[in-house]
Amino acid sequence: MHAQSVKNSQTVSITSKLSHIYQAHSYRIAVFSRFLAAILGGYTFTAVFTSLLSITLPLKKSDAVLLSVSLTILIYSCVFIWVFAVKSLIRIWITILLTTAGLALLLSVLKGWL
Amino acid sequence: MMHELLQFSLCLLAFNCFALAKFNHYREVFKTRPNEKQSKQFLLAAWISILLSLVLSVAQHSGYGALLFCGYIAVSLLILMIFYSFKASWVKVMSMLNISVIILSGLFLSVF
Amino acid sequence: MKENFFRSMTWMHTWVGLLVCWLLYLIFYAGTLSFFRDEITLWNQPALHHVQTTETRIAQQKSQIIAGFDYLQNTAADSPRWGIYLPSQREPQLNYAYEKPRPEGQRFGGWQDHFIDPQTEQTIEQPRATKGGNFFYRLHFDLHYLDVRTARWIVCFASLFMLVALISGVVIHKRIFKDMFSFRANKGSRSWLDGHNVSSVLALPFHLMITYTGLITLIFMLFPYPAMTAYEDGVRGLFNDVLPTNVRSKSSPESAPLTDIEGVLDHVYTNWPNADLTQISIRDPNKASATITVRASTGTQLRDQTPTLLFNGVDGSLIAKSAAQLSNTEVFYDSMTALHTGRLANPLLRWLYFLCGIAGCVMIASGCIMWAKRIRKRMKKQQTASFGVKLVEALNLATLMGLPLATCAFFIANRLIPINTVERADKEILAFFLTWLAVALFALFKRTKAQWRQLAWLNAVACIAVVLINALTTDGNIISYFQNGQWALFSFDLLCIVFAGLFVVQAKKIPTQIQINTQMQGSRRSAKTKLQEQS
Repeated sequence: MHAQSVKNSQTVSITSKLSHIYQAHSYRIAVFSRFLAAILGGYTFTAVFTSLLSITLPLKKSDAVLLSVSLTILIYSCVFIWVFAVKSLIRIWITILLTTAGLALLLSVLKGWL
Repeated sequence: MMHELLQFSLCLLAFNCFALAKFNHYREVFKTRPNEKQSKQFLLAAWISILLSLVLSVAQHSGYGALLFCGYIAVSLLILMIFYSFKASWVKVMSMLNISVIILSGLFLSVF
Repeated sequence: MKENFFRSMTWMHTWVGLLVCWLLYLIFYAGTLSFFRDEITLWNQPALHHVQTTETRIAQQKSQIIAGFDYLQNTAADSPRWGIYLPSQREPQLNYAYEKPRPEGQRFGGWQDHFIDPQTEQTIEQPRATKGGNFFYRLHFDLHYLDVRTARWIVCFASLFMLVALISGVVIHKRIFKDMFSFRANKGSRSWLDGHNVSSVLALPFHLMITYTGLITLIFMLFPYPAMTAYEDGVRGLFNDVLPTNVRSKSSPESAPLTDIEGVLDHVYTNWPNADLTQISIRDPNKASATITVRASTGTQLRDQTPTLLFNGVDGSLIAKSAAQLSNTEVFYDSMTALHTGRLANPLLRWLYFLCGIAGCVMIASGCIMWAKRIRKRMKKQQTASFGVKLVEALNLATLMGLPLATCAFFIANRLIPINTVERADKEILAFFLTWLAVALFALFKRTKAQWRQLAWLNAVACIAVVLINALTTDGNIISYFQNGQWALFSFDLLCIVFAGLFVVQAKKIPTQIQINTQMQGSRRSAKTKLQEQS
């Protein structure tokens, strides 16, 4: 009983410490998270999206790849800007993760990887 | 070379007209306020001139011409920036010179 | 929400730009110089200064190639690779090169050049070892001391940030066209903002184009995924599909006589009558796996992949040829690389590219300075500057003023290092980086206006020194270049003088401490007199 309460108080102190750190640096963490979403999230989304594009475009195989490759930068920069334009960080992460996962699922179904 | 000169001076004229269509720049050059009609005329002239320049350069060199056209834009903006910021009183002379170059090179090209 | 959007874009523009601005300045600077890559290499090799383009350049090519085969067969029959580089407008000399024997465990032994004056058909003495314009070209995306792959990833991300900063920059300047031609000089940070705007707008199509296409040149490293999805063996599979002349057979040790080159050339000229050939490369000459690759110039077409013919080196049969007609997508992709490298450019367009490149450098530099100034202003109340501000200011001074000085040092070193020095080319590059390091150390100590002024003067002196030392150590100078019509060399020296002039103007424009004090006193006095008048 006693031990448990000690443990509880420890976890409480750790979480409170964490939340304290978060509050103290919340601005920095939000900025860091936004950059992370833009760079890494944008990269993965673009990679999956253009891969899907390269096998779905109704063109010759090499043409489809070249076209999707040429468009990657456009897509990447659009996602990048979108991440900074949207206010809610949580919405950004959810949208990126969901769309990327959805596209990846579609891609693996089409390629028969599953 | 005459082709390039004509294309460039058309581009320069176009941006000069764009500038004169703006209230502040017009006032600096002519010391009077432009009326609505004048501004519209300048804009019209500018669009005609810049499209002509683009069409001419693309017609002559195709893709390469479009690239050259971007370069012409940069040079004309640089020239105009210098004139309007430091020597606004010379803009009239510069425009006269510009128009005469267009006419001369146009004549030269149509004759030869 | 709308107001918020603009604010978040402004915020992003500042931060995304700042994180990489010094690196971007380096990339833009080196890239701008790379437009004159061949001309810089020529300047760095005084032995080639007197070679001139012949009027019958294209007609001579056939006999030059045949003579080249004879020469290489006699001097380097067992070399793994030969190359015949035909004269072009920008590089008037003829070069028969072969690969030197490979050291143990290395994949490449380095080229042994043999330069020939196409006019007199005489061998030119071996020019001094130098990287020339290629140094700036590689610096542009390989950053020299870093591992090539790491460096390219860094450059890619910096360029991506640049693209994002450009787009957001356009978005936030809603009123960009209101006073587009105004540059308010001598107005402090207002002038810097104007300078930033003007240099961006001036060449906006160029900036967007060069950043986007620059990323496209490295796209298969950045995003190999589409090719990996569509092809079994990824990017290699794509290249083999798109570029049939790209196939490479395994080297065989078996020896076999080389085919008669005249037969191959007949084949070339029936395929391409009046072709302007640029280079012939021979892999594994006198081996069973020998191949001969013939490349022609693309001229002023927006096309980067050169027309290529690949021959079997033993029986002289055609193995593969590049597609005569590209599909729309291929044209789209290929023209982007061509746009970036600007190899197609004639002198007029090349100068326009150069001018736009400088506008890009000015844009980045003014952005860096403006930001440092703003933070300084905000800092005033606390008196002591934080580490961050000091770092930003030091980096500004070191990069913006250090790079031109280092470049001058590179050129001066080219003329002053003795010709027979071991690893001479690397010593020139060392001079570049040591100078830059010196400026950086200098900037660590102090970064006030006085330092900017001193470095501006130093840069001006260095630019003039390049021209003077060139005149003293070689048999030509800026006047003789003008008289002999050596325009590449003349423009080089002239540009040095122009930049020296610009640095002098810069040094004069930076107010000294005394001037600042008197200005402040003056403004205070006028304020006082105004007050008195009012009272």
